[in-house]
Amino acid sequence: MKGMLKGLGVTLKTMGSKKVTMAYPDIPIEMPDRFRGIQYFEPDKCIVCNQCARICPTDCITLTGKANPDPEKKGKVIDTFDINFEICILCDLCTEVCPTEAIVMTNNFELAAYSRDDLYKDKEWLYENNSNIREDNNNIGSPKGGAK
Amino acid sequence: MEFDLANVSPEDRKEMERNVFFGTIDQLKGWARSNSLWPLTFGLACCAIEMMAAGGAHYDLDRFGVIFRTSPRQADVMIVSGTVTKKMGPLLKRLYDQMPEPKWVIAMGSCATAGGPYVKSYSVIKGVDQIVPVDVYIPGCPPNPAALIYGINKLQEKIRYEAKTGKQVTGR
Repeated sequence: MKGMLKGLGVTLKTMGSKKVTMAYPDIPIEMPDRFRGIQYFEPDKCIVCNQCARICPTDCITLTGKANPDPEKKGKVIDTFDINFEICILCDLCTEVCPTEAIVMTNNFELAAYSRDDLYKDKEWLYENNSNIREDNNNIGSPKGGAK
Repeated sequence: MEFDLANVSPEDRKEMERNVFFGTIDQLKGWARSNSLWPLTFGLACCAIEMMAAGGAHYDLDRFGVIFRTSPRQADVMIVSGTVTKKMGPLLKRLYDQMPEPKWVIAMGSCATAGGPYVKSYSVIKGVDQIVPVDVYIPGCPPNPAALIYGINKLQEKIRYEAKTGKQVTGR
């Protein structure tokens, strides 16, 4: 008898409590700022230093640069920038290593596709992916301008 | 009840058009199938943890009629969640063959889609679509439960679209 009352007590307590199930497809989920969804890429900021392509553990980033169209200026500008998102493991190293924050993370995770070709993201797609961008890109508290 | 449509009054006809839906039997089948997707619990790695979380109270896959089955004979959809090694490949194929028609496959995570972090490995199958036909690919390492729910919803949409139009959904 006592055990039954105990069990009923738990039932009654949980009956009045708030529901934990999220109504996900009807109500979008707000992800925390450090969530890793898919990258956003800004071609104007990129200086073609190749660091993201070099640090990528699965070599899913390929990029090419061309000489600056303005002959007065030195350096290169980005020509093509592709992320093969099939094999991207979201290690976040490309956004950590980027000196100009041309490549940053976003919170967008709704990326399921019917074809593997859809997961090959080019420069234009990544530039248009400009929603829910991570606000604090230096969340590990590294010194500004790199370690001395 | 009047069965001769010519004798139905315009008001009754309007009410009937609001309440009676017409569709093909294929559409009905697509509706029924898409709302009772029973997946095979086929967890191979860390993606399976996220799949279990999606079945738990916070995300609750039962809302979509997705109830996990432990036998391939009772399953409609195989969620391949994790790394498929070359040793596991024949077993995956056998489990797929044991599933009754109609059947679908979801490749969850980078490993099942294209090899993921093991893309340069000698012992991992680079994409489960090399052995079974895949309907929906979910990228991510691992994809969070909401992304899995999005993928399942996408598969439901595919089933309904194919039932409605009779066209195969393959690309974009």
